[in-house]
Amino acid sequence: MLSLGSLATRPVFWDFTTPLRVLWYALAIASVGVFVYGCWRPVRKWRRGHGGPWPPVPWSQWPARLWGGLKLLGSHRTIARRDHTAGAAHRLIFYGFMVLFAGTVILGFDTDFLTPVFGVSYFHGTFYLAYKEVLNLFGTALVIGLLVMMVRRAIVRPAKLDYARPDRALGEPQFDRHTYEIGDWVFVGTLLVIALTGFLLEGVRIAMDQPGYGGTQFVGWLVAQPLSGVSDATLGGLRHGLWWFHGLLAITFVASIPFTKAMHMLTAYVSLSLRDDTAKRQLAPIPPGPADQPAGYGALEDFSPLHLLQLDACTKCGRCHEACPANATGRPLSPRDVILELREHANHPSADGFAASVIGADGVRQETLWACMQCQACVEICPVGIEQAPIINQLRRRLVEEGELDSNLQATLQTIHKSGNSFGENRRKRGRWTAELEFEVPDARKQPVEVLWFVGDYASFDPRSQQVTRAIARLLHRSQVAFGILYDGERNSGNDVRRVGEEGLFESLAQQNIDAISECEFDRIMTSDPHSLNALRNEYPQLGAAWKVVHHTQLLRELLESGRLEVRNRLSHRVTYHDPCHLGRINGEYDDPRRIIELLGCTLVEMPRNRDNSFCCGAGGGRIWIPDTPGQERPSENRIREAVALPDVELFVVTCPKDVTMYEDAIKTSGNADRIQLRELTELIEEAVVPQPAMVGA
Amino acid sequence: MRIVVAVKQVAALDEEFELLVDGRSVDPDYLEWDLNEWDTFSLEAALQLRDALDGDGHEVVAVTIGEEEAQEGLLACLAKGADRAVRVWDESLRDSDVLAVARVLAAVIERESPDLVLCGVQSSDAVNGATGVALSGFLGLAHVAVVKHIELDGTTVTVQRELEGGLVEILTLPLPALLTIQTGINEPRYATLRAIKQAREKPLESLSLGELGLDHGAVAAAAGSRVVSIAHPERGEGAQMLEGAPAEVAARIVEIVRDRMTG
Amino acid sequence: MSGVVVVAESRRGELREVSLELISAASAVAQEMGEPLSVAVIGSDCAKFSGALAADGVSEVLTVQAPGDGFEADLWAAAVEGLIDAESPSLVMLGHTIDSMGFAPAVAARRGLGFASDVVAVGWSDGLRVRRGAYGDKLIAELEFPGKTCSIVTVRPGIFPPATAGAGSAQARSVQVPMEGVARTAHVSYEEAASGGVDITKAEFLLSIGRGIEDKDNVPRFEELAAKLGATLSSSRPLVDAGWMPSARQVGQSGKTVKPRVYLALGISGAVQHLAGMRNADTIIAVNRDPEAPIFNVAHYGAVADLFEIADELDAFA
Repeated sequence: MLSLGSLATRPVFWDFTTPLRVLWYALAIASVGVFVYGCWRPVRKWRRGHGGPWPPVPWSQWPARLWGGLKLLGSHRTIARRDHTAGAAHRLIFYGFMVLFAGTVILGFDTDFLTPVFGVSYFHGTFYLAYKEVLNLFGTALVIGLLVMMVRRAIVRPAKLDYARPDRALGEPQFDRHTYEIGDWVFVGTLLVIALTGFLLEGVRIAMDQPGYGGTQFVGWLVAQPLSGVSDATLGGLRHGLWWFHGLLAITFVASIPFTKAMHMLTAYVSLSLRDDTAKRQLAPIPPGPADQPAGYGALEDFSPLHLLQLDACTKCGRCHEACPANATGRPLSPRDVILELREHANHPSADGFAASVIGADGVRQETLWACMQCQACVEICPVGIEQAPIINQLRRRLVEEGELDSNLQATLQTIHKSGNSFGENRRKRGRWTAELEFEVPDARKQPVEVLWFVGDYASFDPRSQQVTRAIARLLHRSQVAFGILYDGERNSGNDVRRVGEEGLFESLAQQNIDAISECEFDRIMTSDPHSLNALRNEYPQLGAAWKVVHHTQLLRELLESGRLEVRNRLSHRVTYHDPCHLGRINGEYDDPRRIIELLGCTLVEMPRNRDNSFCCGAGGGRIWIPDTPGQERPSENRIREAVALPDVELFVVTCPKDVTMYEDAIKTSGNADRIQLRELTELIEEAVVPQPAMVGA
Repeated sequence: MRIVVAVKQVAALDEEFELLVDGRSVDPDYLEWDLNEWDTFSLEAALQLRDALDGDGHEVVAVTIGEEEAQEGLLACLAKGADRAVRVWDESLRDSDVLAVARVLAAVIERESPDLVLCGVQSSDAVNGATGVALSGFLGLAHVAVVKHIELDGTTVTVQRELEGGLVEILTLPLPALLTIQTGINEPRYATLRAIKQAREKPLESLSLGELGLDHGAVAAAAGSRVVSIAHPERGEGAQMLEGAPAEVAARIVEIVRDRMTG
Repeated sequence: MSGVVVVAESRRGELREVSLELISAASAVAQEMGEPLSVAVIGSDCAKFSGALAADGVSEVLTVQAPGDGFEADLWAAAVEGLIDAESPSLVMLGHTIDSMGFAPAVAARRGLGFASDVVAVGWSDGLRVRRGAYGDKLIAELEFPGKTCSIVTVRPGIFPPATAGAGSAQARSVQVPMEGVARTAHVSYEEAASGGVDITKAEFLLSIGRGIEDKDNVPRFEELAAKLGATLSSSRPLVDAGWMPSARQVGQSGKTVKPRVYLALGISGAVQHLAGMRNADTIIAVNRDPEAPIFNVAHYGAVADLFEIADELDAFA
């Protein structure tokens, strides 16, 4: 029996002959070798993409990036979002694994370097006891975390872990996903077995060696209790067997990391570290290259190395699958499945390799790509920083270049090119909405203004939205803001044209707008259209413009808070608020509308899916120009049903002209016209600010 | 094989517009320009015919009479895949009627010695429906108007001619020939703005009347008519408009239908 | 040059109605000019129409024998040129039809004649004057033909009332025009549009859909609505071009001309070519989102509304 004190330690290679030690080290080195090769292979794969720079981020920025990634990983913020159970369980697994791994390194450093080279060792005494305690604790955490995950998969079965894909039908070759499921279980199972055999081994050792301080290695101690009566010979055999089993399993696991789901441990970290925070807001222009190089992504070699890397980071967590409004309403698109499909092509290329097209019946289908609303819910929630929607956009660019687009969409793009707006109205009619006002709206091209109001297509031409536009004008006039509009100098902002994939038309529209705006004198630009907001603020700078751009809700909040607009009739409506994709999730502005609702005296009942989790109305990404298949639930109807399920909510408040159109329609078509009404926020403000009953709602 | 496609940049009129002082044409400020819808179909037909031919050296040439706006239309044709484009303009052509236009087009096209000439059945602004066949008169080409299907076999073309009431006539004619193309014959492809920008690198010739061997006199002599004036049409009473919510309108419609269908 | 010559049109052995419309239009002009009106008919079977063409105001029926069984562009061009040479008319009038437009402009071009197509009014006031649409009928243009001793004019069908067949007493006279080796196209066959058993020209109540229905997948819903309302479904040209509807159901200049008791148009803007096919229906009801849609100019009743909403409401009635 060994005694306590500074001699508390354990043998590393108990009862090992030298040949066995050599064998062990040989195997361990081989495993590391395979691991390293496995890590190098994907890097070579990523470098086959020519659609972006290599390295994705300049080497000089890597230290800061990797440190940032480490901090993010440490906090597990992205993994815990919207799923606290998974977040907690993964923390246990992550920290458990990390600590156990560190423990092995600490031991290895002592055994293989410190002792042979310098003759010293720290692996004993208090250090050793603390070490064992910590490892027991974190080993337990690991096991608990794994068990939670296994119960989730096997029993709870959350919808997002269902691998059934909406873009393949039963019987089609890529429909079946059971290899993924097997891979998941092998991964989780292997880790569990490694952890459990580790504890078992510890227990056997304690049962054999009876070191006396077993209480600190509580799991091992627990395991040792039922083994106390077993003979040393049996225990010895068990110990040998377990040691090799545990050891071999562990080093096999290490070697297999780059080839299995376990790879996400590395790729997810790198992807998170290198992620582009502007990806939601700003699409990349066509990179300079030979003129006949078609735009966008058609084959994997067209991808940027960063995007190819991101394909390998996906853990199939299903958060994007769950958040996607197209998937939620039965359309053949799941961002998860786009990424996985591309990954399969990258890992199992056909005869043409990375030059083969990934778009088609056996790849990413056109109907999948056109179902996307570019709402960025996927990009927002992905815990590892994958840019699903921008990748879809790049694939669309190739489709547009090849003329593979819905005929209605084609006609709309041609209309926008001809008339500068999607309504096909003569450009002279852009300012017609002002005719019904009792005052003149200044022409910002002819006189300097404080606020240049970029109105936008829908706000200018759609009759229902024009009511809102006039309300905004009246409020600005009332508060004596010096504002003006561009009249027929304004064009469609190009935001959605770009998201459809027509880069050339976007640039043309943007340039026309930039030219018109550059002739004007103003302090800042205000827009009532979140899509235009995004283009003007985040994308026009790519073409040289640089202005301060605010949403009308910000301006109206300022006016209310400063008293320039006075609330005369406090409203008592119970309202709910829909965060528009381009204002909320994409540009991070959630609070101004809520503050206004509060200032008006209304009671806000939050939508279950709110703020960054807001559910797209279905108009984005050019979808408003593509007719819906009849008989299918529309995202806007889905959203209204969510709203009417809230207790006693009278009004559905929006702050985007497309939302006005989509939700007025959805309220009717879903049969809820007598249960809820739509208001644009400005209309509520007018109700509160204007002394008599004025223009309110539809 | 050389296929020439005669195209036109047409004007779309806004609901509210003003006429020029002389009362003979519309103030150009109120016009928006676009490639004639029929010509997108004839260009597409030409591109498909060319691409189906074996061997090299086949070309599609787009030709138009027009000033600056017409350049856009030609670029769109080049962007979609035409090999060359030619534009002719002279101020005296501004008020030309269909025969004068055909006369000038004939001069341009003669230089090209085409095997096949395709035109749209009509343009959406003038709606004469005559330019193609008049052109065949000047060029002395065998021709068929209102074609909805083309099959090329060596130097013989088999076409389907669309007649009133949905009747179709199938006939053959030898090359060189001229066909006027009806909508619906194919699905015209989309030209991205990027492609249109890149099309500026493709050959686009601008010619004057002189370079065609024509003068104002020759063109004027060919003209078949002259506009005296244009005016707003007399509106009849117009429709009796049904107002109200959709349910009310539908009820009223049902009432009218029942009334008219009985007795 | 003097006299007016109307060129009648027949197809597959039947005289086409536009021929009689031309006669009434031409006789008015001829009177204004103080010149005689002749009606010419071309073909291998032209003699059988002489009786019908001898309407009020017609001085003579001219028959031009042509080889072959039916229309051929070069033969008809030669025939008309032969008539011009033989009769020296000041004005030649044809219907604005697919046959005419297949050759008349070539004749005008070759001979340097005056020319105007798709005219809606013809008159004589110190020379020939016609009126036709401009910018797709948004405006009306008045044209003259300075320096032209002979002009060819094609007249829009359905504008002038048809003259009564055979009400006059004109005699027929044959005009010889050499046509050997003139034809350059060869007729192969005719094909009827697949009708699917439907003849929309016989329907009393037509429910007609246009581009406003937006998507091919919406067609079945309107098929059901038509069935419920007891109407026959028809459509404008764009839906046929796109393959959403069979051509047998197309109403318009190149489709069928219909004269039902009720024509209910949903989402049809009313392009000239479409109006040509239905403007003479007894009662035209039009539903369109665009208050400026030209169809409202010919409709008796109109509603500026969303056609889907109206369709839903109509569904409830049926």
